[in-house]
Amino acid sequence: MKKVVIDPVTRIEGHLRVEVEVDDENIIQEAYVSGQLFRGIEIILKNRDPRDAGLLAGRICGVCTNSHFRAAVSCVEDAYHLQIPKNAQIIRDLMTMALFIQDHVVHFYHLHSLDFVDVTKALQADTALTSKTAYTYSDNPFRNSKSHYENVKQKLKTFVDSGKLGPFSNGYWGHKEYKLTPEQNLIIFSHYLDALKFQTNISKAIAIFGGKTPHPQSIVVGGISSVADMLNPARLNEYIFIIKESKEFIDRAYIPDMKLLATAYRHEIKAGSGRANGNFISVGGYEFDDSKLFESGVIYNHDFTNIDAFHHDKISEKVDRAWYRDDNQEEPFYTDLNKDATLKTEKNSDKYSWIKAPRYDDKPMECGPLARVLVSYSKQNRTLKPFVDTFLKEVDLELIDLSTTVGRNAARAIETQYIAEFIFKLTSNLLQNIKYYDTRTWTKYDFDTLAKESKGRSFFEVPRGILTHFINIKDKKIVNYSVIAPTTWNATPKNSDNQKGPYEEALVGIKIEDTKKPLEVLKVIHSFDPCLACAVHIIDTKEKELSSYKIK
Amino acid sequence: MMRIVIIGGGIASAYLANSIKKLSSYNEVLIVSDEKYLPYNRIHLCSLIDKSQTLKNISLTLDPTIKVELEQKIIKIDKKNKKIFSINSMFSYDTLIIATGSLAKVPFEIQNINNVSVFRSADEAFKIAKNSIDKEVVIVGAGPISLELLETLNHIESIHSITLLVRHKYLYDKTLSAQSLKIIEESYLKSGKIKISYEDEIVETKIENNKIIELRSKKLTFKNPFIIFGIGILPNIEFAKDSLEYDKGILTDTFMQTSDKHIYAVGECAQIKETNFIAGHVKECTLQANSAISKILNLEEKEFEQEVSIDMLKVDCFDLIDVRSPTFTCDFEKIIISSDREKRVDEYYIKDNKLIRSIGINSNIDVGYIQNMIEQNEDVDVNSLYENRLLSEKGRLICGCEHLYHKDLVEIITQNDIRDFFELKDFSNAGRVCGRCKQMVEKIIEESKSLISPNIPRKTSEEIQIEKELKKIERRIDKFNKLHPYNQLTKDNFDNALKSMDIATKELNSWISMITASMQLHPSFEGSVGTALMSLNRIPIIWLELSDCSGNSEAFIKSTNPSIEDLIFDYISLDYHELLMSASSNESETILENIINNQKDKYILIVEGAVPLGLDGKFLRIGTHAETGVELLKRCAKDAALIMGVGSCACNGGVVAAAPNPTGAVGVSEALERDDVINIPGCPTNPINIVGTLLYYLMFEELPALDKHNRPLWAYEGRIHDNCERRGHYELGEFVQEWGDEGAKKGYCLFEMGCKGPYAFANCPTMKFNDSTSWPVQAGHGCMACTEKNFFDKYANERKIENEKAENEKSCH
Repeated sequence: MKKVVIDPVTRIEGHLRVEVEVDDENIIQEAYVSGQLFRGIEIILKNRDPRDAGLLAGRICGVCTNSHFRAAVSCVEDAYHLQIPKNAQIIRDLMTMALFIQDHVVHFYHLHSLDFVDVTKALQADTALTSKTAYTYSDNPFRNSKSHYENVKQKLKTFVDSGKLGPFSNGYWGHKEYKLTPEQNLIIFSHYLDALKFQTNISKAIAIFGGKTPHPQSIVVGGISSVADMLNPARLNEYIFIIKESKEFIDRAYIPDMKLLATAYRHEIKAGSGRANGNFISVGGYEFDDSKLFESGVIYNHDFTNIDAFHHDKISEKVDRAWYRDDNQEEPFYTDLNKDATLKTEKNSDKYSWIKAPRYDDKPMECGPLARVLVSYSKQNRTLKPFVDTFLKEVDLELIDLSTTVGRNAARAIETQYIAEFIFKLTSNLLQNIKYYDTRTWTKYDFDTLAKESKGRSFFEVPRGILTHFINIKDKKIVNYSVIAPTTWNATPKNSDNQKGPYEEALVGIKIEDTKKPLEVLKVIHSFDPCLACAVHIIDTKEKELSSYKIK
Repeated sequence: MMRIVIIGGGIASAYLANSIKKLSSYNEVLIVSDEKYLPYNRIHLCSLIDKSQTLKNISLTLDPTIKVELEQKIIKIDKKNKKIFSINSMFSYDTLIIATGSLAKVPFEIQNINNVSVFRSADEAFKIAKNSIDKEVVIVGAGPISLELLETLNHIESIHSITLLVRHKYLYDKTLSAQSLKIIEESYLKSGKIKISYEDEIVETKIENNKIIELRSKKLTFKNPFIIFGIGILPNIEFAKDSLEYDKGILTDTFMQTSDKHIYAVGECAQIKETNFIAGHVKECTLQANSAISKILNLEEKEFEQEVSIDMLKVDCFDLIDVRSPTFTCDFEKIIISSDREKRVDEYYIKDNKLIRSIGINSNIDVGYIQNMIEQNEDVDVNSLYENRLLSEKGRLICGCEHLYHKDLVEIITQNDIRDFFELKDFSNAGRVCGRCKQMVEKIIEESKSLISPNIPRKTSEEIQIEKELKKIERRIDKFNKLHPYNQLTKDNFDNALKSMDIATKELNSWISMITASMQLHPSFEGSVGTALMSLNRIPIIWLELSDCSGNSEAFIKSTNPSIEDLIFDYISLDYHELLMSASSNESETILENIINNQKDKYILIVEGAVPLGLDGKFLRIGTHAETGVELLKRCAKDAALIMGVGSCACNGGVVAAAPNPTGAVGVSEALERDDVINIPGCPTNPINIVGTLLYYLMFEELPALDKHNRPLWAYEGRIHDNCERRGHYELGEFVQEWGDEGAKKGYCLFEMGCKGPYAFANCPTMKFNDSTSWPVQAGHGCMACTEKNFFDKYANERKIENEKAENEKSCH
C-alpha cells in the first residue's frame, strides 16, 4: 500500500488535506480527509449579547456568508419565540436564493469545470461543428453562433498568445481523465467566460437587499433593515432583471452543459464512480403557497422507496477521531501528526481532523443538492419532480445515477434551475404583500422583557446542504453556541466504528492514473463543493435540545 | 455625541475647538467669549497699534460647524446641572473647557479712566492706538510684553516721548547679564524718544473727569500722560472660584481635568496641581489642549508634560532668543560669551553640568541645536559652546518655531520661485506656527523676489512636486519592466488583452480616472496610473490564506466593474492563490518555492486571515509537509518586497482574535514582529483598495502615506460619518428609531440604531460594494466599523456606544 498526500487541495474554500492509500494498481483502498484549520468561533460567541450573534457567526464563512448570518439570527429568534413579518421572510429568502444560484454556478464553472474541460483542446475545435454539437443538448443553446465560437476561440488564442493562461496555467492538460471532444471543450469554455460576468452580476442581486456580499449586513433579530430597498420599485426591478438574465444562462448553458457531461461521462456514471454510502439527509424548507421548495426526509442505502421521516433527536456528534478531548468535547485536543507529517490513522482511536463527526442514527450521511433532489423527488414533490424527470429522460439515466461524481453536479444544476423559477414566485408574493399595504419588516420586541434564559435552534437547507445553529442563552448572554454545517457532514472523519464519511467513501475504488497528478481525487472531492471554513466546529455538550423544534 | 462648551476667545480656545471638530465632527462645540470679536491671535496685538494689520488679518480660522457666542461674560458655573451663566444667558454642556487665559494686573481700578490701559485685548490695542497720540506715554513694567510694545510705539511718529518705568534695575528678566542689558538698553535709547527710569514706581495720581491729569513717580512727574500697565498677569478665574478648586489658577491634573470630572481648564487660567505649573506659551497651551482632548474623546491618553520653550523678542537693533528647559530654576551657573564689537551675547545657564537655559542676543547659534542639547540632557562640553558660536552662518534667525534662518528662507524663495507668503506654504511653515515672524517672512519674500532667475518657468509648487513625482514613477516602472516574471502578459500585448476581454479603451480610461481620483492623485497622474497598470504583472504575487473565511478572496473575484477587474485580475500576476489555482498539492508547492527562491525582494505577499500562534501555530497547517500557518507566513515574508494584510483578520486578528481569542490569533504585522506591513482592513475589504495600493506601490516605490494603524490614507482617511449619504438627516436631527419605522423607509440617519460610522474610517460611502450596488448604511443597517481594531469586541452590534456603556455600568453595579 502506498500513501498519497494531497495538501493543499486547491479550488475549494479553506484548508483541506486528503490522504489516500492505493494498491499496486493505484486503486484507492482507504481514504482520510482532514480539516486543517481551527478557529473556535463558538468559543468567541460565548458571553456575548445574543443580538450580536448574527454579525459574528456570519464570519464563519465568506463563501456561504449569508447562510450563517441568517441561521444565527433565526436561532436567536427561535429562542425568543419571535415571529418575523412575512416581508422580512421573503427578503431573507430572496438573498438566500440568489446565493444558491451564485454559489452553484461559480462552483461548477470556476472551481470544478477544469476537472472536466481541457482548455488547450478547445483550441482545436471546429467552430461550425461546435455550434451544431450544442444543439444536441439544448433547443436554444446560449450564444451559439459559429461566429461567437470563432470569437471565443480567438480570445482563447489571444489569451494564450499574450502569454497569460491565468487560472488555467499549470493545469493537468492532456491527462487521460479528460474525455471531451475539442468542440465540447469549447462549448463549456465559452460558458466559463460568460460565467465570470454572471457571478459578479448575481452578487449584485444579493447586495441589493444585503448591502454587500460577501458578508451582507441587513438581517437583524426580528426582521431585516433594508426596508427602503424593499419599498423602492427600482431596486426590486433590478433584482428581477438580474434573476431573469441568470435564468437565461442556467436554462441555456448550465443545464445543457450538464447534459453534455452526463453523456460524455456516461460510462463513469454507470460505473457508479464517486458514489458514497447512499445515506442522504435533508431537512427541507422554504415554504411557498401550499407547497415547499425542499422536502425533509432520510434515505438509507439508496433505498428511494422508503423515505424515513427526519427526527432531530437522531442527530449525534462524536469526536472519537477529531482533535477534541473525549471527556470535554468542547476543548481542542491536538494530538499532532506523524513524524513524516502524515495524518495519524493507524489505530481506530487516532485523531486526524479538526472536523467533528455528526451522525444521524449513528450513520454518516451525505447532504447537499444531491440529497435534496433525491429526497424531494422520492417524496413526490410535484414542483421539483418535472425538472428531474425531464433531465433524466433527456440523458437516459436513472435516479440512482445521480449518486456519482458527475451526478452530484447534475443534481446541483437541476436545483439551480428549479430555484431560479421559484424566485419569481417569491418576488410576486412580496409585491402582493406590499400591494396590500403591509410594509412591515420588523417585529418589535423589548429586549429587557425577553426571557433571560432560553434555547434556540435553526435548521436551513443552504447551497452545500444542511446548516444547523444552536444557541443557549443565560442571563441574556450566550452561554453555548454550536453549529453543524454541510461540509461537517460530508467531510466528516471516521469514528471508532471506522465507518467512512461521504468524501472518504466516494474516494474508495477510484483509480489514480498518475499519483503525481491526482486529478481523479480532486474531481471526486470537488463534486461535493467543499467549504472548510464552515466545516470546523466544536460540540456543544451542554443542554442541547433538539426534540421540540419544528421545521417550517 | 457630546456638547462641548469652551469659555474663552483666544488661541487656546480656537485650537481646542478646531481639534475637537477634526477628531470628532459629530460632537457639538460652542465657544463662549466675553469679547465682541471672533477669536484672534493675541501675539499680533502690536500690529493693531501700528495698524500694520487689521483685526480680520489676525483672526483665527474656525471650523464652520463650531458655534460661537460673543459678548457673554460667564459669571457662574452650575456644575450639578452642567450649566454656565452669563448675565443674560444660560448654556448647558456635557463637557466644559475653561480657556479664559489671564487678566493684566493693575495697581488700581482703571476701568473708567480714559488715559490708562493694559494690553491684553484688541479693544485695548485700539484704545492705545487712539488715545496715545501726542501724549507723553508711560509704560510701567519691563517684561517681554512691555518691551515689544515699547518697540512698536517707538516707531509711531505721532508719539514723541515714551518713558519706561522699571521697578528694579533690569529689563526682560532678572537673570540677564549686564552685557545683554547694555545692548538692549542702547538699542532702545538710540532714537532719543525713549527714557528708561530704573528703580522707579508710581507714587501719586491726580484724577479729574475720568482722566489722570498728573502722574508722579518716585523720580518723575508727567502731565496729561497716557499710561500702559505691563506689570504682570493673573489667571482669569474669578467666575469659577465658587465651583472649582483653585490656587493661583484653576487646579487640574495632568489631563487638565479640574476637581469636577466634566470640567477642564487649559492654558494660562489652569494650574497643574502636581507641579504648580501655569502655561505661558502658545506651545504649552496646545499641548495642554491635546491632553484634555485625549481624555474627553477617549483617545490614546496624552498626559501633559512640559517641553523646552523658545521665546523670541525682535527689535530693529537686536534679536533675543530665549530657550528654556522646564526644569529651569534660579539655581544655576552661567557662562557668558560676549562680543562688544558684534553686539552679541550668548548666555548659557548650567546646572549639574547640564544646559538648562540659553539666552542669545544677536546670537547666531542654531536654536534647534540648543533645544536638542537641552532635551538630550547630556553633559555640556564648554569648549563646544565656544566653538559653536560661529557654527551658523545662515544669518538672522527668522522663525524660531521652524528653526529657519534668513539664508535658508532666501534659498527656498529663489529655488522655488515663491512670490508671496501664500506660496511659501508648501515649502516651509515659517510664519505659520506661532505667527510671530509672519511680517518678517513677508518682507524677506518681497526683498528676495528680485533674486529669482527670470528663466525659472513659472510653476506652482504643486506642479513642481508633481513633476518630481512623475519622474520618479517613470524610473520605477522602468526598473520593474526589466524584471522577468511568470506572467508574460506585457505592455506590448496589452491591446490584445483588452480585445480578448471585450474592453474598450474608453472604458479603461474612465476606470483609470476613477482610480486616480480615488487615490487622491492629481489628474496629471492618470498617464502613470495607466502605465503602472500595464506593468502590474511584473510583480509576482503570493496570496496566502491563513486563518480566514475566504471572504476577501471572494470579494476580490466579485469586484466591481467586471471586465476591467477581470483584466486587472489577469494583469496581476497572482502566481499563488489556493482558492483559484488549478494546481494542487506538490505542484502548487513547487510554484510557491520557485517564487520565494528566484524572485527575492521582488514579489509582493498578500495575506488573508489571522495567524494563530497558540498550540505552536498548529491550529493551522498547510501543505504536504504540514507547515504551520505562521511558519509558512514567515517563509513567504522573509524575502518579500512588500507585505499587505488584506481584511481585518490579517490586519489585527479580526474575528478570529475576538475575545477570548481561543487560538491566540494575531495580525500579520504582530506575527512577523514587523511594523512595515500595510493593512487593508475591512470585513471583507473593498477590492479597489487592494488594487489601488498595489498601483501605489508600483508607482511610488515607497508605501503610500499610512495612518497609525498602517492603513493607506488615501482609502482610510475619511470618516464614514463625514461622507455618509445620510449625513444631512443627522444634521437635521432625523433619526431612525427602530428597524422598519417611517424614518427607516425614508432613509434617515442610523446613529440611534447603533451605526458606528462616527468611529470608523474607510471609503465605503464613496466606493460602495458590488459594482456600487449598495453598502451597509444604504441597506438600512448602519456601519459596524469593521475597519477598526477589535471591532467585534467594540463595535459589531446595533446599539449606541453610550447606551452600551450605561448598560454595562448598570449591570456591573
